[in-house]
Amino acid sequence: MIRGFAEKTIACLSWALALSLCLSVTVLLSYLLIKGLPSLGTELVFGKADPLNVLLGRERVFDGIFPAAVGTLSLVFLSTLIALPLGICSGIYLSEYATPGMKKAVGGLFDVLAGIPSIVVGLYGFSVSIFLHHHFSERLGPCLLISALSLGVLVLPYIVRSSQSALEELPAHIRCTATALGATRLQNLVYVLLPNALSGIGSGVILAIGRCAEDTAVILLTGVVATAGLPSSLFAQYEALPFYIYYISNQYTNPAELSNGYGACLVLLGICSVLFMVARGMQKRLFHWALYSR
Amino acid sequence: MPKQKKEKIILDRVDFFYGRRQVLCGIKAAFYSNTLTAITGPSGQGKSTLLGLLNGMWNEVPNTHCSGDIQILLGGQWISPLRKEISLSHLRRKVAMIFQEPNPLPMSIGRNMAFPLKLSGIRDKRLVEEKVRTALEQAFLWEEVKDRLEDSALNLSGGQKQRLCIARALILEPEILLCDEPTSSLDAKAARIIEALLVSLKNHCTLLVVSHYLDQVRRIGDRVMILENEGLTNGAGLSA
Repeated sequence: MIRGFAEKTIACLSWALALSLCLSVTVLLSYLLIKGLPSLGTELVFGKADPLNVLLGRERVFDGIFPAAVGTLSLVFLSTLIALPLGICSGIYLSEYATPGMKKAVGGLFDVLAGIPSIVVGLYGFSVSIFLHHHFSERLGPCLLISALSLGVLVLPYIVRSSQSALEELPAHIRCTATALGATRLQNLVYVLLPNALSGIGSGVILAIGRCAEDTAVILLTGVVATAGLPSSLFAQYEALPFYIYYISNQYTNPAELSNGYGACLVLLGICSVLFMVARGMQKRLFHWALYSR
Repeated sequence: MPKQKKEKIILDRVDFFYGRRQVLCGIKAAFYSNTLTAITGPSGQGKSTLLGLLNGMWNEVPNTHCSGDIQILLGGQWISPLRKEISLSHLRRKVAMIFQEPNPLPMSIGRNMAFPLKLSGIRDKRLVEEKVRTALEQAFLWEEVKDRLEDSALNLSGGQKQRLCIARALILEPEILLCDEPTSSLDAKAARIIEALLVSLKNHCTLLVVSHYLDQVRRIGDRVMILENEGLTNGAGLSA
């Protein structure tokens, strides 16, 4: 009777906690929608500029979030490009080639990296930019590239761990099959293990994308500014949505500006959702192509 | 050890250890070309381990040690896998293995079949199609799958999956086929089909089949050997 009561209590508690989590997310999203929807529109994104002229590059945006949105997308793309090959290769090394001792040591280092606060990573990126400025060229400094590199370092542990776990969790019969057919280690990895681990690796990539899109502390110290327009090069300063939301919430002078901040939150959530869907779609297509196309 | 005319595999005082635990002790045996040798015995005696020695799969298991001598006649030449006289990839293409659980890769039937050819560098489309058909016919599977080669291999029945695995192993024309309890996960009807298939393959290669089932070893084996107490002996009275 006591066991039955305990089981029912655990079940109810689990239900209640899951429900409260869903409720929290719903409340948060609803609040953002209520506050941000009124400001959503072309004026929020393009300001007083003509949207078509902006998209064709004929006009600049001074009072809209379009440059910040482009800056965020550029940042996500660059940092993922930097972190993805490094992360997957490191995951492969830990899973397939590392000795138990090296696995422990290197894995431990990545765990430490995962625990480093983002502001510390930002400070490191800032230090690197100052070093480059002093020792190489005065034109070098906090910029899009430094931010992307710093964010890449920040999200590397996600991709490493997801790649390593995805490969290690593959069933033994999948590992042995290609080996028994005469595959070399590299062939087994490329033709069998990686395609079957895509789902797990993809989850890490999606986490990384989300982190790159929303992190503010790192970009605060490594190149983001309030007004820079569209990023003109990798070595230029840039705008980003998380920073826009941060400074608008600190500097707003009227309710309309604050509403723009909420609108920017919705745009950022929208961008993240689209990126997640694109990542999932690419993952499925890649999986299908790798295993089923003839 | 003098090699007789029809010998295909010779084991001479082979010992095998998982860490410090000895599983095989002083194994001496010979297996002959184009025969089906059934190996039986109590569980945990090292039957699967013995098969794994012949195609080098034991190298994939950490903390193992093998000593003694194994000689295999491949391409008319005697080679010793323990002395690394052949690369593991080449060895496993000529000494193929079928596992207890059917293990098609999560790919289409056609890609499963073409996979070993891809690993060997054979990419000529016509040659691949020809070899795929031949191997599937040898495995009594062609008529059942010829119209659905692009379907997932995971959608096949258990018996079909195992025949697919056998066909996939046969596609590189191995000289030896090692079968580790190939029918234990199948129903009686599917098992009988696999047995008939294995017997028919004697014309093409030398077969070693591990099985727990005495009636099965009696039915299919030209010779039966019993592995127990770390030793391998002839199963007197068990051969067909």
